[in-house]
Amino acid sequence: MPDREQLEAANRPLDKNLMRYIWRHTKAEQIWILCVILASMPTYFLVLNLPVRIVNEPIQGEGFDSATATMTFLDFTLSLPSWLGGGSWVIFSGFELERWPYLIALSMLFLALVCVNGLFKFYINTYKGRLGERMLRRMRYQLVDRVLRFPIHHFKRVKGSEVASMVKDEVEPFGEFIGDAFVQPVYLGGQALVAFVFIINQSFWLGMIAVAIIAVQMTLIPHLRKRVLVLGRMRQVTARMLSGRIGEIVESITAVHVNDTSNYERSELSNRLGNIFFIRYELYQRKFFIKFLNNFLAQLTPFLFYVVGGYFAIRGSLNVGQLLGVVNAYKDLPSPINGLIMWDQKRTDINIKYAQIVEQFNVKGMTEAEKQAPSDEPVLPLTGALSVSNLNVTDESGSVLIEDADFTLPIDGITAAIGPLGSGAGAMANVLAGLTDPTSGRVRLNDTSVGDLPQRIRGRRFAYAGNESYLPQSTILDTLLYVNKHAPLRDRDTVSLGIKIHPRTEAEALASGNTLLDYYADWVDYDAMNITGPEQVFPKVRDSLELVELDETIYELAMRQMLSPDETPILCEKLIEVRQDLRKRIDGSPLADLVEVWDRSNYNEHATIAENLLFGTIVESDDFKIDQMVEIEHLRKVLSQLNLDRDLFEMGVELAETAIELFADLSPDNPFFEQLNFMTPEQLEDYPPILGRAKQLGFEGIEETDKRMLIQLTFGYIERRNRLRLVDKDMQERILEARNAFHGTLPDSLKDKINVYDLSTYNALNSVQDNILFGKIAYGLSNATEQVQKFIRELLLEKQLEDDIFTIGLQFDIGTGGKRLSENQRQRIVLARSLLKGSDLLIINRGINAVDARAQDRLVKKVLARARGEDGHKPFGVLWVLTTPSFADRFDKVMVFERQRLLQMDSPDVLAGENSTYQSLVE
Amino acid sequence: MSKLQDEVDLLRSIPMLANLPSNKLKLLAFASDRVSYPAGEILFRQGDDADAAYIVISGTADVLVSSDGSSTESKVAELGPNSFVGDMAILCDIPRTATIQANDSLDALRIKKEHLMDMMRESPELSMSVLRELVQRLAKTTHDLSIARDEVSRLQAS
Repeated sequence: MPDREQLEAANRPLDKNLMRYIWRHTKAEQIWILCVILASMPTYFLVLNLPVRIVNEPIQGEGFDSATATMTFLDFTLSLPSWLGGGSWVIFSGFELERWPYLIALSMLFLALVCVNGLFKFYINTYKGRLGERMLRRMRYQLVDRVLRFPIHHFKRVKGSEVASMVKDEVEPFGEFIGDAFVQPVYLGGQALVAFVFIINQSFWLGMIAVAIIAVQMTLIPHLRKRVLVLGRMRQVTARMLSGRIGEIVESITAVHVNDTSNYERSELSNRLGNIFFIRYELYQRKFFIKFLNNFLAQLTPFLFYVVGGYFAIRGSLNVGQLLGVVNAYKDLPSPINGLIMWDQKRTDINIKYAQIVEQFNVKGMTEAEKQAPSDEPVLPLTGALSVSNLNVTDESGSVLIEDADFTLPIDGITAAIGPLGSGAGAMANVLAGLTDPTSGRVRLNDTSVGDLPQRIRGRRFAYAGNESYLPQSTILDTLLYVNKHAPLRDRDTVSLGIKIHPRTEAEALASGNTLLDYYADWVDYDAMNITGPEQVFPKVRDSLELVELDETIYELAMRQMLSPDETPILCEKLIEVRQDLRKRIDGSPLADLVEVWDRSNYNEHATIAENLLFGTIVESDDFKIDQMVEIEHLRKVLSQLNLDRDLFEMGVELAETAIELFADLSPDNPFFEQLNFMTPEQLEDYPPILGRAKQLGFEGIEETDKRMLIQLTFGYIERRNRLRLVDKDMQERILEARNAFHGTLPDSLKDKINVYDLSTYNALNSVQDNILFGKIAYGLSNATEQVQKFIRELLLEKQLEDDIFTIGLQFDIGTGGKRLSENQRQRIVLARSLLKGSDLLIINRGINAVDARAQDRLVKKVLARARGEDGHKPFGVLWVLTTPSFADRFDKVMVFERQRLLQMDSPDVLAGENSTYQSLVE
Repeated sequence: MSKLQDEVDLLRSIPMLANLPSNKLKLLAFASDRVSYPAGEILFRQGDDADAAYIVISGTADVLVSSDGSSTESKVAELGPNSFVGDMAILCDIPRTATIQANDSLDALRIKKEHLMDMMRESPELSMSVLRELVQRLAKTTHDLSIARDEVSRLQAS
């Protein structure tokens, strides 16, 4: 759990200056890396110096005047400069070596130094990299931490994708810079200073020329850079807005399609990209102009040296050796100076980017970190009442949401709030739930102001179901349990999770100031759900789903799910038993007509020709698909051997003809296209010319591609569904013959690409239902599907497998934003999890308005029965802002809202007695 | 040629659909499901949401209505082959106004709501015939109602 200091740090606004931010968090590391760089300098210098010595001494023979002459190797003498007295001490006197061994020794030394130098560089670079990454992690964490604490109303102005772009992309360049932030200027500045001191030493005036030029550079360039920085900021903001805009396009894609506004969007996009282009182009022009100027000034200095220095040399006031020395020393000056200028450019650039980001994240009215501080201590159930006095809420635009409301709401009361949309009922519920802050007035829980309470009190003891139901992508089970994940309560069980956790996970989180709360721990608060542990979750979850009438949906989802026998071998095996049992039972029963089971020696009239030919499921891959089945060479061979290709070709002609006749003049999104199972609306356009050629050329003359297209068409044909009488008994026999031939000579390369139907094998490519059924539900019989499904369900119940199936349904992935569920299902899920939470007060703010009226009626009844503690459940309070006011008479108290004011609050009987607004709303 | 042709002929024999061009009738036949019901099976129940209309191909069905939430249903009519049933509820998006139960084994063509609605949008002739049919039914109902009113006042008087 975080300590005071961390919480306070989180509350402070982010540093406005990047350098200060970096220094605050990486002081020690920056100093350390500087020391390492200094320590690496002697090696670096020696690596540069040694080649000269190798060439001069052993190779060119300097100092080896005779064949037996020797040189000392590795002698090490420490000498003081002359101005300190000039004494010297011999630390190591070295070895005497002849010319050849001396060459080897020096070369070896060179190699060793190269290695050491390389290792230094390796260490420094990784260290800097790690430093940068840690800072990046810290920054991203802090930014999102702040997003989590933004005041709710702030999100009306924020686009999710813009925040994402800031956190993800805009901070990215900081990572590289952070490692160099302090080291680079010190290092380069040092180099420049050395070269500069040398120049001054040689000639004061020439040194002054260098100073003057540098001064010009240092004043002119920042001046020119002002516009570049402005452009940089514009580039950043426009890019961010671009990602915001793209996010919007994706979110509103349906509106684009139904209103034919795609071209408007294109033009908007093009305009935006154009602006970005011009900004970037100007940026390039200016950036490279500055570069040009820089280079020019750097070259101007030697020019002045030659002219001015040459003049003095000719006049004799400067000797030639000195001049050459200065020119030589100057060679080392431009690169550190340029480096410094580059560094400064990067610094200002990044500083501006940083300031841009920080501005967006230093928001007024953020929740204090203390209020969100994690705590694993249980929050005791709430009792007493919420008392609201003088409550006023005004939104940012100044319109009044609720005015002068005074009331007392017992936590355990069963209260309804009614009133038209915008009457204040919803705003009141949002204030109590903590989603809106009161503009004035007080909301107190017993004697404490609700605003001062940590989030965990309301977050755990209140449950809230609004009508906006955005659910992050997850499984149904996790979506339900989400509301009970407040703190890591039980240690993780990595073995069963099957996750490898990096040994430095915690140390690194600490180093970047991230939270240490273990993501993989079990966060579910079982106590709140009134159970003891994970093993009791299932009945609880199921119960809440039954209450909101989603259990059937979950079960159906499970039946459509595909299972992998590798992952759930036991269940799959049991399902095979169910399949075999089902088969025994339906034989001779009335159900026999409703299902046509797979039988190797029978044609299945309720299945496609493709399924009948393959007698199995294709393992689809990019180049192997059911809608390109005709491309299987082996299949074509079999068909032509049996002359079946000619019949299928003719059948294809007939199907194409029918489809064109019926569908050609319909738009592709016409609902009738659902019925066209053997062709897609797009394909419909390809077939007329093919049909023309087929009629003209016949089977013999037609081209292979056309022939294949027509044959492929027949594969999707289902006799009983399409009812075109194309597959008669004789045809069935021939297709069966083809099936046998196909499997009889199946090449090995195809064996693992087709899952053949086999009574005793679970087919991973079919749904649970298809696996149990092992056949097709008959077309054209009333309620066939319902009857078969009912029968399967009874069988599963009998085998005690129903719970297992339900569990599979709970693993269903709800899609981004929960979009794989309907709005009404999402609202039911939100209600179910609010019930699961075990809260003391359940606030429902028009929470099930997408549910149909009759179901709403049932749900209100059931939830209120729960709240009143029927069937031994723990009772709880309810505050329900009703969409249908006529349900109000089931509540103990009713609050009546009109025009942002609370008019009355009393029991429904009393309210009904008065001839009041209540009556007009309820009727 | 195909079985579809029988169904097209059947559709054509329904007065409301008789004016549709033959490719539209064929499309309707292609898109609808042919469903068999055993004796006693319910096609749909009063109060259910409506998603399809039905045309009886063979067999007969009872039209049952229960008034004001009472659980007993009384038979108000019988449908034979070629009757079109369930059209009102899908046109006006109201719950089913009666329960239809197969008398003996019954074959019917089931036309989905969105398909019929789409046809109506495409073909003004169809919309007109639907309108005509409904007005005729309304006239009949009004006529029946006035007779019933007379009956009631006669009974009250006596």
